[in-house]
Amino acid sequence: MKDSFFRSMTWLHTWVGLLTCWIIYVIFFAGTASFFRDEINLWNQPAIHNVQAQTDRVAAQRQQIIKGFDYLNQHASNSPSWRITLPEERIPYLVYGYAKPKEPGQRRSQFVNTQLNPNTMKALPPFVESKGGNFFYRLHYQLYYLDAITGRWVVCFASFFMLLAIISGVVIHKRIFKDMFTFRRNKGTRSWLDAHNLSSVLALPFHLMITYTGIITLIFMLFPYPALTTYDKGMRGFFNDVTPSNNVTNNAQGSAELLPINTILDQVYTKWPSADITRVQVSKPNMAASTVTVLVSPAKALRDQSPRLLFSGATGELVAQTDDELSSSKALYESLNSMHTGRFATPLLRWLYVLGGIAGCVMIGSGCIVWAKRIRERNKGKASFGLQLVEALNLATIMGLPLATCAFFIANRLLSPTVAGRGEKEVTAFFLAWLVVAVMALLKRDRLQWRVMAAINALACLSVPAINALTTQGNIVSYLLNKQWALFIFDAVFLLFSILFLVQTEKLRTASSASKKTANKLADNKKRQEA
Amino acid sequence: MIDLLSFSLCLFAFNGFALAKPAHFKTVFTTRPSKLQSNLLLIVAWISILLSLLLCVVTQQGYGALLFCGFMGLSVLIITIFYNFIEKLIKPFSFLNMLLIGLSGLLLAVNSL
Repeated sequence: MKDSFFRSMTWLHTWVGLLTCWIIYVIFFAGTASFFRDEINLWNQPAIHNVQAQTDRVAAQRQQIIKGFDYLNQHASNSPSWRITLPEERIPYLVYGYAKPKEPGQRRSQFVNTQLNPNTMKALPPFVESKGGNFFYRLHYQLYYLDAITGRWVVCFASFFMLLAIISGVVIHKRIFKDMFTFRRNKGTRSWLDAHNLSSVLALPFHLMITYTGIITLIFMLFPYPALTTYDKGMRGFFNDVTPSNNVTNNAQGSAELLPINTILDQVYTKWPSADITRVQVSKPNMAASTVTVLVSPAKALRDQSPRLLFSGATGELVAQTDDELSSSKALYESLNSMHTGRFATPLLRWLYVLGGIAGCVMIGSGCIVWAKRIRERNKGKASFGLQLVEALNLATIMGLPLATCAFFIANRLLSPTVAGRGEKEVTAFFLAWLVVAVMALLKRDRLQWRVMAAINALACLSVPAINALTTQGNIVSYLLNKQWALFIFDAVFLLFSILFLVQTEKLRTASSASKKTANKLADNKKRQEA
Repeated sequence: MIDLLSFSLCLFAFNGFALAKPAHFKTVFTTRPSKLQSNLLLIVAWISILLSLLLCVVTQQGYGALLFCGFMGLSVLIITIFYNFIEKLIKPFSFLNMLLIGLSGLLLAVNSL
């Protein structure tokens, strides 16, 4: 019974892992990059590279909002909505935006944004069109070139498989604590298995947490039945019930001047004296039915949705607000969601999330390689179609994604700022680079190909900071001297990966020459014996 | 400073867990540990790791447990690197680790006075 249980768990771990490992690798890779979504957005927009973070950020918010209202009243008094996005710790600039009236067939209004330097309150040079960190964020949970809902279903199933693989992995790993700090070098498949075990164990709580909470983020898509049976309007009814601001309907007709925003801000600061306001949204400004929504940061609370107050723009009356004390089920959902996104994590915790993400990528990558190596050993070097496919997918995914990421950032710097659909072209560069690697992997998958890909990746990683230095006014040295840490670390990470890929190239070279020597010796011995 | 203390305690704990294993103990001290030594190392390691968890949860509120998980991952990684690649530096590393605990604890105590 015991033996068959372990055998069935091993079977489950192998096949559940193998079937989805490449898609899970993409999800982990994109998710890890998404932890630095704001920093990627910053790097992708050279116009904001020199904007210094405000020292008295929270204290300056009231004036920034008042000036924003004056600006928007002057430039877009008839717009359907306004949005003032205030600087945050990781987003150094201020945005005054207004919506253009919807054109026929348009689902959402297009926003016209003016970005300002909060220190000088002067407009910044126009932003270039870029997908930035949002591309990795969306790739993480709904993939790309797929309908959003289909993409989310694929991610959901992959996450379920991942959770099964983790649990069955813990069950079959009999020496989980005995081998905890063990890594046997230069032992072929054994070393790969050690790398797989080590990367799994060192971030096991993270892997479990991120996979489980990842499924929870999409729980209403996976399990909508309680809401569907309870509410007449289905999921919409449920969401309206848990978000009080959605139910606010103001039927007042005609125009009415907006109340001075100070009146509303006084109420906000009375309720939350040290409020860190992140955004102010105005719907139907200068109409009798106008509403003003003020969103504040939840600070260190494990809460994904920003607390908000909703006022009538014409009378200043508070019409709706988020709950101060969440119900237990809401608190559980919010805390699991915010644990997954780490949106309000400190820089230290953010880096630890990244460490967990990298450990996840190593775990998945080494798992794929262990399977292929074991099957090749078992078949004594002969490769079936299945094995060839797995090896090709391994090479395409593990070496293709870093190259595609470099291509994305290089495209951001080299594409003309005026080119139409610039953001989409960055994405095309990403997938084209990946496709090239996939084709190369289908043609050849031996050690030499891995070495070539490692060398190309080393060069590509080096190109990112180099091209940045050539196309913008800053470079890694100036970032260090000017204490522009986000930009410095961005370039430094690419340099570090360039070095790591160079080391990999060298390792693969020495390993291949060593295996050639061994093969030659064996052939000589055989000849001698025959003679 | 409190984060440094929590992390140092966590690192110290995993160093203790590693040393409690005969193979790793032998790598550092060239002899196998006695039963008593192993048990003592395990007790110290458990106290240290629980203190680290307590500090994280008390000071970081909601994200404390996550921070602690991150510290555990980083500690295991560092200990693995030392015990598999740079065995010779384990003794100075352990000394530095203890020094960090002492210094960060002392500075924290001075600041809170």
